[in-house]
Amino acid sequence: MSLSMALFSPPISSPLQNSNLTSKISLSLLSTKRFSLVSLTQASSSDNGTSATVSATTVEIPKPASPAKEEVPVKSPTESSSDETDLTTTTTTEIKFQDAKWVNGTWDLKQFEKEGKTDWDSVIVSEAKRRKWLEDNPETTTNDEPVLFDTSIIPWWAWMKRYHLPEAELLNGRAAMIGFFMSYFVDSLTGVGLVDQMGNFFCKTLLFVAVAGVLFIRKNEDLDKLKGLFEETTLYDKQWQATWKEPESSSSTVSSQK
Amino acid sequence: MASFTLKSFTGLRQSSTEQTNFISNVPSSLSLPQRRTSLRVTASRASPNLANRKLRVAVIGGGPAGGAAAETLAQGGIETILIERKMDNCKPCGGAIPLCMVGEFNLPLDIIDRRVTKMKMISPSNIAVDIGRTLKEHEYIGMVRREVLDQYLRERAEKSGATVINGLFLKMDLPENWDTPYVLHYTEYDGKTGATGQKKTMEVDAVIGADGANSRVAKSIGAGDYDYAIAFQERIRIPDDKMTYYEDLAEMYVGDDVSPDFYGWVFPKCDHVAVGTGTVTHKGDIKKFQLATRNRAKDKILGGKIIRVEAHPIPEHPRPRRLSKRVALVGDAAGYVTKCSGEGIYFAAKSGRMCAEAIVEGSQNGKKMIDESDLRKYLEKWDKTYLPTYRVLDVLQKVFYRSNPAREAFVEMCGDEYVQKMTFDSYLYKRVAPGSPLEDLKLAVNTIGSVFRANALRREIEKLNV
Repeated sequence: MSLSMALFSPPISSPLQNSNLTSKISLSLLSTKRFSLVSLTQASSSDNGTSATVSATTVEIPKPASPAKEEVPVKSPTESSSDETDLTTTTTTEIKFQDAKWVNGTWDLKQFEKEGKTDWDSVIVSEAKRRKWLEDNPETTTNDEPVLFDTSIIPWWAWMKRYHLPEAELLNGRAAMIGFFMSYFVDSLTGVGLVDQMGNFFCKTLLFVAVAGVLFIRKNEDLDKLKGLFEETTLYDKQWQATWKEPESSSSTVSSQK
Repeated sequence: MASFTLKSFTGLRQSSTEQTNFISNVPSSLSLPQRRTSLRVTASRASPNLANRKLRVAVIGGGPAGGAAAETLAQGGIETILIERKMDNCKPCGGAIPLCMVGEFNLPLDIIDRRVTKMKMISPSNIAVDIGRTLKEHEYIGMVRREVLDQYLRERAEKSGATVINGLFLKMDLPENWDTPYVLHYTEYDGKTGATGQKKTMEVDAVIGADGANSRVAKSIGAGDYDYAIAFQERIRIPDDKMTYYEDLAEMYVGDDVSPDFYGWVFPKCDHVAVGTGTVTHKGDIKKFQLATRNRAKDKILGGKIIRVEAHPIPEHPRPRRLSKRVALVGDAAGYVTKCSGEGIYFAAKSGRMCAEAIVEGSQNGKKMIDESDLRKYLEKWDKTYLPTYRVLDVLQKVFYRSNPAREAFVEMCGDEYVQKMTFDSYLYKRVAPGSPLEDLKLAVNTIGSVFRANALRREIEKLNV
């Protein structure tokens, strides 16, 4: 706590000095990313999902672009001098997400038609690409071009077909394999056939455990994740109840004095 | 045997000399979830009247919690001393207060600089959702300047009879007995002694620690530490035409770039906007997050000038011990900041008031000495009233601030009118209002749908990465 007090008591002076350095570094980082994107947009005009880590080999790299904000004259004076020479002084020429099918802040479904019906799969893939782009290169929001796309316009069966069904197939396959071999194993050990196994309580419990296991533990990491999740759900409550679990020594001194 | 003597002398004794014989250890009938039956607390009815004086209580810290506590104490007839280290402290703070605070604390409307009636939630992929359509005419979120609010509450406390001292609390000596006073060591600043101030001591019967996230009172009683978030904020004065957009609108940005476990914000203040972000787990990267927040709002704050940079810690959960004998913590010192939204002003003021009310009641308007059981009543009442709210917000934070898909789902959900109505109802009036079950069911289905879709898109993104 004293460390944080020391950190926070002079709020104005230190952050400004540090931010000089970090803002320069971060802005140059942002700008190098932009130039890798320039090459990306030039190279992939079609939807071929190349990763944004394609390096900028083909583009001549001018000086780093400065954000056209005047609010940082205090912090990084070098940027105002580069205003005149670089090419992306205004926001309109900044690298933004562009796509022929992305019109007015949403996907133009008419452009996704295949044989007269909208090809929802490609809508989903395009939206995923857009999100990936934005994750790697966060953009500013503007009031002129608000993003209005709502994923719920894609019908539920498109999602099911693409994501739920393959996974369901996988899990059902696992459950079936486990079920077959477990019932064979139990039969060979005890001589109880499949139909009779279903009538036995212990076997039913085993079945329940097997189904739950297949559902919840799909990858190796899931085991640890589930343990962490359980701890997480109870942690906040524990923190609140901590004050009620006083050790005896404190309260016993309150009583008994003569 | 002890219980018989209780009824006989309550309110009758005037002097304190023969009291010690009758103090008994009565296990109080607190409805606590006690594991050990031996948690024994004396009932305050057994406490004797104070001889020829009123109960003396010191409130350390003059923010909303301290001001509200001091006012309630003074109104209840208790001798109150409020110690604040910086009277014109311009606290770095979001500055948002819910509507109910204006009514409950009788705040004059000119304290509120702005009434925010619209909010925009912006997802990691810049999907923007407008919130506030369901607000009625008279409903708003009040934006205040902390220095104005704090000063007003302190002045009100002073008018009710509290003594306000400009001083810095240093430490306190804990008493050995139930009736010996706490000795506070503090440095008093007044115009004559200059900047260094004068070391002084004071004896009081009880202390309310309202001195904020780095509470010294908490340290003195060994209250324990808590996890805290860092909130970093820059105040930016933007051109007038851009300011009209933020006239009554606040923005919230979510995303991994802006914060891994919190949100970035643009809140309008009196004549500028505050752009900030916060984090618990990646405190070292806070500057990076701040840049990302500025980047996301870039178009809308273009041409602005930073006039102030500030940061402050926000507690994430209550301290392990919120009271000890006759010392209680309230507000940020106790850790009463909600998760998910990081709201603290209202809860600070309310807890200050609740604690003071418990003291007034336990001491019967200053006539009796209080002890730990009276303060425990405040904790009980607080937990009973607000724990559901805290729990719900904790669940929301755990579910929706986990990852980008979760945040996308969150923003999508916020577009739903029912969600907006429930959210604002619970925020503005601090009550977990029961909605209609059918709507709740629809909401649950929609939530699952949104989360599923967002996670499906995340899987698609991962496929693209390969």
